[in-house]
Amino acid sequence: MLSFEGVYRKRGGTFLADFLGDDPLDFWVGRFYVGLFGVISVGAAVLGTLIIILSIALIGDGDLVRVTIGAPLRQYGLGFAPFLQGGNWEWIVIFATVAFVAWALREVEICRKLNMGYHVPIMFSFAISAFVVLQIIRPLLLGCWCEGFDIGFTGHLTWVSNTGFRYMNFYLNPFHAYGILGFFLTAMVLAMHGSAILGTYNTNADPNVETANVDNFWRDYVGYSIGELGIHVLGFWLAIYTLIMSDLCILTSGPFVQDWVDFWHFHIPWFH
Amino acid sequence: MRKLFAPLLVAAAVVAASSVAPLFSSAKADTGSTPAPASGMVPTERALQGTQSTVNPAQDGVEIDERALQIYTHVYGPVDQSKPLDFAGQPAAVPHTYVAGKLYNVQVLKGYTYATLLGQMGYYTQALGVSCTYCHNVSNYAYDTPTKKIARTMQIMSNGVTRDWVDPVKRDYPNYAVTGVVGCATCHRGAVHMDVKWNIVPVQYLDYNNKSTKQAGYAVNSMYSAAKSLGVNCLFCHNSADFITLQYYPTNKIAHRMWAMVDDINHKYLPANIKAVTCYTCHQGAKWPAVLVQAGLDQTPVQAVAAHPEVHENPGAHLESGVAR
Amino acid sequence: MATVIARTTLPPIELPAPSPLDDGDLLGIRIGTPIRIPLLAKLGLSTQTGVIWLGTWGVLSTFFFVAGVGVLALAAFQQMNGNLLLAIKYFANIQIAPPEGLGLAPSLQEGGYWQINLTFWALSVLCWAGRCYERLTRYQWRPFLLFAWLAAILLTSTIWVFRPLAMGSWAEAPALGLNSDLDWAQNFSVLWGNLYYDPWHMLAIFFLFGSTMLWGMHGATILATASEGSHMEDAEIKDMHSGSHKSMLFWRWTMGFNANPKTIHDWLWWFSVGTVLSSALGIITTGTVVKDWYVWGVDHGWVSQYGEITRSAINQSSQKPLVGLNRPEEPGVTTPQGGF
Repeated sequence: MLSFEGVYRKRGGTFLADFLGDDPLDFWVGRFYVGLFGVISVGAAVLGTLIIILSIALIGDGDLVRVTIGAPLRQYGLGFAPFLQGGNWEWIVIFATVAFVAWALREVEICRKLNMGYHVPIMFSFAISAFVVLQIIRPLLLGCWCEGFDIGFTGHLTWVSNTGFRYMNFYLNPFHAYGILGFFLTAMVLAMHGSAILGTYNTNADPNVETANVDNFWRDYVGYSIGELGIHVLGFWLAIYTLIMSDLCILTSGPFVQDWVDFWHFHIPWFH
Repeated sequence: MRKLFAPLLVAAAVVAASSVAPLFSSAKADTGSTPAPASGMVPTERALQGTQSTVNPAQDGVEIDERALQIYTHVYGPVDQSKPLDFAGQPAAVPHTYVAGKLYNVQVLKGYTYATLLGQMGYYTQALGVSCTYCHNVSNYAYDTPTKKIARTMQIMSNGVTRDWVDPVKRDYPNYAVTGVVGCATCHRGAVHMDVKWNIVPVQYLDYNNKSTKQAGYAVNSMYSAAKSLGVNCLFCHNSADFITLQYYPTNKIAHRMWAMVDDINHKYLPANIKAVTCYTCHQGAKWPAVLVQAGLDQTPVQAVAAHPEVHENPGAHLESGVAR
Repeated sequence: MATVIARTTLPPIELPAPSPLDDGDLLGIRIGTPIRIPLLAKLGLSTQTGVIWLGTWGVLSTFFFVAGVGVLALAAFQQMNGNLLLAIKYFANIQIAPPEGLGLAPSLQEGGYWQINLTFWALSVLCWAGRCYERLTRYQWRPFLLFAWLAAILLTSTIWVFRPLAMGSWAEAPALGLNSDLDWAQNFSVLWGNLYYDPWHMLAIFFLFGSTMLWGMHGATILATASEGSHMEDAEIKDMHSGSHKSMLFWRWTMGFNANPKTIHDWLWWFSVGTVLSSALGIITTGTVVKDWYVWGVDHGWVSQYGEITRSAINQSSQKPLVGLNRPEEPGVTTPQGGF
């Protein structure tokens, strides 16, 4: 345990404790907190991994970078495909989703124990939403599991490439563009914040002077200093914005728009 | 050192100003890329033609054919029936007195009986949405008119295209090509004039070797035109894993030939510098032109490839350069 | 948001104390009056905007940037024959293209504007780097920000300068324009064997998505513990309080690993700089060292050479078997005159 950790390791306040009084799963294994959702999450992850290993063994391609577990073919629609023709993919997606959601709920439990805000599980939920939109919601909207991405290192890259070209020029998807803007802004703001802290920590100055130093630098340099709390607010909301745009960009492709080049050939009355 | 900043700034400003000054000179570079407006088009819109800034990015870098547009807005027919016949420039076979039921001045449709020829004429009227008076002077059907001459060229063209391009594709790719012939209706679809739409680059652009990204980009933009003409997406002919190397889908190979065919038609049968025929002319948004009738296709190109495992052993064996066979 | 920002009065406007270093630069003045925007306090952001420091480097940088924009505007108007409405309508499609080959462009319209504009903007970003260095030294920061900016310049230089030089033609670089830049990204990947199989591209994506992930994690963690002061990171690095303790324990209990208030910023910085550096490597090796990333991937065993029959290719293609005559596969894909 870390030197200060003992004070914080308290049992109680978990989901099961509300039902059973004393939660039998409320303990730590080494540094890891277990909890009901830890059991569910790790269990689902292990099962999903076993299916992956089994599929790789059955596919017979020993190269882990190259092997791909494909989504079911179009003919199976929203039903269950035979195991090697996509059924394994379906099981993996189920277990992965369960594992991710359980992980988020476990984070909620840990937040409650530490008396923190729920910002981290909320952020993680947005990340999960990207996976769920890609593998579950969009295939449901389009009517077959074949629309999900293949599971595999280079296999999923091929899927991304094919999906992009299916809609002719995915760069012209406005939500895709907004998402890329979000990603690049995030990278830039990240570099600025990291540089600010790494440039000024432990300089033997009075911490209040250090903070003013940072504020004055940014005001000199770009005319505005967002503040030490504000920069984290910005980062938090930038990441959420990026994830929302990503969700929208793939949700609109297929159910609503089949050709992103043609999308822009709309006519504004009077202006044409 | 810091005190030098002001003089340096002044020097930099002078240098910058002198490099920017030519932009303000009244002499404008004339690259010939802004052609005079053609009739019937908004002058401001015409300013974009022939440059790289067109509305449809797929048309960037592709010259818009001025004369093609003029031809398709210029009306050749119908023949003015009230004009007196002038036999001075006519072929010798044209009689001064026309006798119905006999064939005179037949230059292309040789060997047809009278009844069959009339049937062909009926097909022309239906396919072009015209009546006999569009090409003929009805007081003397053998009389040559400008539209008749165009029709002869068109008939030679449709025979030639069928023989040189469509039949070989049928022969080589029996699962993909349709049976049927290229006729007037394939392009005209019941109207004399048609849209010149979805221009594509000449087939030489499909050879990507030693081309810069900018040049090869013209061909890539053309691919969108071709895809829209057929109503398909990029994956109909390509595997996006590698556009250049994985060119062995049958649709890809057929497309190469079709691309060369379009060039051939534009060069051989149309006046010079008119590139009026594009993929859209015949396909009009369908994978197989609707008027090439009769065959069913039962296999997608990907399934066809999957049925031939030898392709996987040596994908390079089916590699072809971008130039069509 | 955290309760620490719920103040009834706003903090005073802060202006830095003048120092001897500021007086040496003839343009070393702060301009503008600070404008206070109270709404920002509700969002947790600082409310003071301005003043900004001029400085010679900054003035030069702004001048070159504006000059470049002016060149672009001029070129665009020439292409639109001076029609402002058209320029707005076709704004995304306007492009100013590079010339073929290396060397000066034959004329303004055929690449001259492109070269002039990029020269101005190159000078602008270099002057901005000078400004960065000058301010960092005045405030005695370690130069992380300068290196991050130089890494970004390295990436853009790779795209617009180094790779065209290596390939022997300015036409390898993107044109200037919205749609043309997007088309360049598309065409570049199409021409060089699909950049998804470029391992530097994979690494760059890993760093880019990782940056967003880390930002989400770090921002969320700080906001969750801000009521206990974890956002005052310089102070927390010196002496950790309960906010930092909870941040660290949260991650330790969740995933078994935690950074500390200082090292998390190492992660952030290296992920963001790693993004641009990997991208630069991916660009410079394309077309020079590797001509086809898919073939390279197949040769090195990354990529299945049976890519053509991966499920996604089958599922995504618009091919569907057509039995019978002219059955429309999708609405709207029929012949205009209904066939004949």
